[in-house]
Amino acid sequence: MSTKLSLKSKTKKIGNDVKEKFSKEHMKESFENKKEEVAVKTVYKRDNIKHFFQTANSNVFASMCLMGLGQLMYKQIVKGLIYLSFEILSIVYFVMYGGKAIYNFFTLGLITGDPWLEIAGDNSVVMMLMGILTWFIVVLTIVMYYTNIKDVYNTQIRVLKGGMPEKIGESLAQLADKKFYKTILALPLIGVLIFNVLPIIFMILIAFTDYGGDIVPPELISWVGLENFEKLATLGEIAPTFLKILSWNLLWAFSSTFINYALGLGLAILLNKKCVKGKAIWRGFPILAYAIPGFITLIGFKFMFSVGGPINQIISDAGGDVISFLGIDAKWTARAIGLVVNAWISVPTIMLLTTGILSNMNTDLYEAAEIDGASKRKQFFKITLPFVIFSTTPVLISQFIGNFNNFGIFYFLRGGLTLDGYFLASDTDLLINWLYNLSIDNNYYAIGAAISLVIFIITSAVSLGVYVRSDAYKKEDTFR
Amino acid sequence: MKKTIKVLSIMIVLAISLNMLVGCNVDELRAKYSHATTFKRFSGELEENVTLRVLDNDTALKQGYFDELIEAFNKKYEDKGIVAVDANMDSYSDLANDGPYGYGPDVLYQANDVLMKYATSKHILPLPIEKLDCYGQVSEKAWDAYKTTINSKEYTCGVPVNIQMPMLYYRKDMLPADWQSSWDKNNNEVPDMLESWTEMYAFSKEIRQLDDDKYGYMKSLFDPFFSLGYMLTYGGYIFGEDNSDPSEIGLAAGNAELGIQMIMQLATIMNEEATDDTITLNAYSKMAKGEYFATMTTPDVYSMFINQFAMEKESDGMSKADALKYAEENLLMTTIPTSPLSGDLTDRDGEQIGSKIVGGINGYAISSYTKSPVASLEFVNFATNYDNVMQRNEMLGVVPARLDAVTALGGMELNVYEFLEDGDLVIMPSIEEMAQFWPPMQTFLSDVVMDAFRDENKRKFSTLTLMKEGLNKVSKQIFDAIYTLK
Repeated sequence: MSTKLSLKSKTKKIGNDVKEKFSKEHMKESFENKKEEVAVKTVYKRDNIKHFFQTANSNVFASMCLMGLGQLMYKQIVKGLIYLSFEILSIVYFVMYGGKAIYNFFTLGLITGDPWLEIAGDNSVVMMLMGILTWFIVVLTIVMYYTNIKDVYNTQIRVLKGGMPEKIGESLAQLADKKFYKTILALPLIGVLIFNVLPIIFMILIAFTDYGGDIVPPELISWVGLENFEKLATLGEIAPTFLKILSWNLLWAFSSTFINYALGLGLAILLNKKCVKGKAIWRGFPILAYAIPGFITLIGFKFMFSVGGPINQIISDAGGDVISFLGIDAKWTARAIGLVVNAWISVPTIMLLTTGILSNMNTDLYEAAEIDGASKRKQFFKITLPFVIFSTTPVLISQFIGNFNNFGIFYFLRGGLTLDGYFLASDTDLLINWLYNLSIDNNYYAIGAAISLVIFIITSAVSLGVYVRSDAYKKEDTFR
Repeated sequence: MKKTIKVLSIMIVLAISLNMLVGCNVDELRAKYSHATTFKRFSGELEENVTLRVLDNDTALKQGYFDELIEAFNKKYEDKGIVAVDANMDSYSDLANDGPYGYGPDVLYQANDVLMKYATSKHILPLPIEKLDCYGQVSEKAWDAYKTTINSKEYTCGVPVNIQMPMLYYRKDMLPADWQSSWDKNNNEVPDMLESWTEMYAFSKEIRQLDDDKYGYMKSLFDPFFSLGYMLTYGGYIFGEDNSDPSEIGLAAGNAELGIQMIMQLATIMNEEATDDTITLNAYSKMAKGEYFATMTTPDVYSMFINQFAMEKESDGMSKADALKYAEENLLMTTIPTSPLSGDLTDRDGEQIGSKIVGGINGYAISSYTKSPVASLEFVNFATNYDNVMQRNEMLGVVPARLDAVTALGGMELNVYEFLEDGDLVIMPSIEEMAQFWPPMQTFLSDVVMDAFRDENKRKFSTLTLMKEGLNKVSKQIFDAIYTLK
């Protein structure tokens, strides 16, 4: 009885709270606060440098001269000391290492090493990496300098509005509450910068050097501008190879993505039919193909299609001639086998994904469509496909990128061939395989980096272009 | 923006100026060192209480030879505190990348083409070879494999230990019962098919005619390491200036196209598996089962053939000891057969010439980044002395590069040594441009072998002229691969 009463009173309290929240007075007050907030923001928006200098007080200028000084003047001791320490550390770093690292970044070394004479020499690769790292620190210092000024300026506004300068405890409390996202994302952000962004920038920069061939440490590397891209576009041997591989790569990426998606969806729809018995078993078979490591499958397929493999064994036992499915002359046969093998590996992923999506579909839509007289075909194209594509657009894009950069398929099936008319490549190689041949097998790192930059531009342009035009992006909140 | 460009320009100008200034210092530094002082690192006292990391090959480790070697060395230098240990790293450790940072072995044992890639960038030290016990005993041709010229001066950067030459492996028990009357025309008690490629071709055809499931000579002919010899026999060569000038590619030189003709003829006694590595992979079991009469490979895998053969015999009901004995008596190695002067394998009565074959010299080198060069040299000296070289031969079956050792051993070992001395064993070029040589050559040979199985009207190399054109084309491909991006 008492519980019932307690529940009743609780419900009443919540009702009152809601009433209060949406009462005229409260709404008015909230509106006034909002207005004030907007006014402050407008000041910020208009705060061009002139306005800033007109309104900033001496404490702000103090922080501009010495990081943290303004905060100290506002008696924000801990915060001030943190900024001050950062500035001191930055100065020490740049005097002792950073300046030299930036200088080395431009020169990429001046002394060629000579192990016989025990001259250590400069390592251009390390210098480039350290240079990039120092540029990161430069950016970090600028960001810290900006936040230092912004912070003290905010404090000035806060004080002008009658408040007190924020204490360190309050700031820390905010980091654990309102600004918790900053706390939690700081470490991953640093990790991403060091382990992802730095190597990517390094790779991009390599494309603008002469690294590779004879120019490998202890030899010194030099900046060569756009020379590698010029080679890709104009050099007699490279340009035709690049264009041939690029066109095949695009064809491969689009066709393999389409095949995998169509087969995966088809299989999912088929296994979703009520008339199919033992669905779990049928679904298990493709998963088996998915569960086996890709390269094992590829080696298996290579053996099956090899001249001494079981397929040829059957052909010769039946009185036919042995077929070199993956040999030198087998351009389109090998490409077709590549598509089949890739489908074998990738279709289960799409099937599993679309099975999940299909199980979430509203069956009322189909019933309505049936009543309206829509054919099964129409139902598929008007209901099923848009719904599945809407849900899987990001996956579709990642499939496309994955297929565009599918290194394993032709490396395992037909690696090691360098055909006539191709520069260190074969007619089934994708750009990623060519990149590997050039940079790993032949040490042409710079040209390899230039190719990878081209790959990056193509894949990012296609993915972004497709994604921003897709319903998944445009109607994210409306299509449910 | 203009300001930024100005600042950048000033920085670049400053960088270039400083470059020139520092460049002067480096030149002075280099001038301090002369050719004679290159060996300065070996002139000091023997370092004591040091650990030497030695990288030897997998077979030496597996067969226990390496353990015996370091045990003997460590015992000898116990009082000096010098200890040799297994470097315990991948046999293809990357000295160029690891060495400068203090990683990698002090002493390396590898093939000449692998070791000498490091020499160009000075990652291995030039050695005072005259100081070594083996100096006078090792073939001059073997020393040549470790020579490099830097700034017009010649240095030797490795110590030859053994000669790697492809050998003909065959099943003695598969010889015809009447071979002495029907396959020994010169009555020298050596079957003719082991003496000349023409006879091997004829014998292989005969085997095929008698039994569809059996083959005579079988080899993955697409593999340039084993097939280059056919072209070299007829005047072709890899690189100019004794394989040191990659700007000159001589695959089509002389009558090298006759070698291509031989490869295509050999392919007809095999099957399409000769276009890839299927035969090489299957050779162990197929030889053991008696499906192949002969194949060609390097001596270091002899024990694997024997083990497989013995296992096969054991499964037939023989005792382990008998099976091993039978395998050792019937699976034999010999040097490669002679070739017909005409380059035609059907020309059984024509003149024969010595065949050439590509091989290598395995040896020791010392890392430029070692902290104990004198102790490392001492180890190399120890490992290449007569006793240890003989022990390596006994345990691993490899052919020593020392004359005194091969003279004592005689037989096949002496034959291989003579192959090297006569110039019929062409040592793999010790220059890094070989990396660009293999893929185009492998593709070309695969195409050549495949041609033997194409329809008459689809053949790409149906005449000697077309074969020559093919060789010229692949030479250009290799040249382009080397120089296009240099």
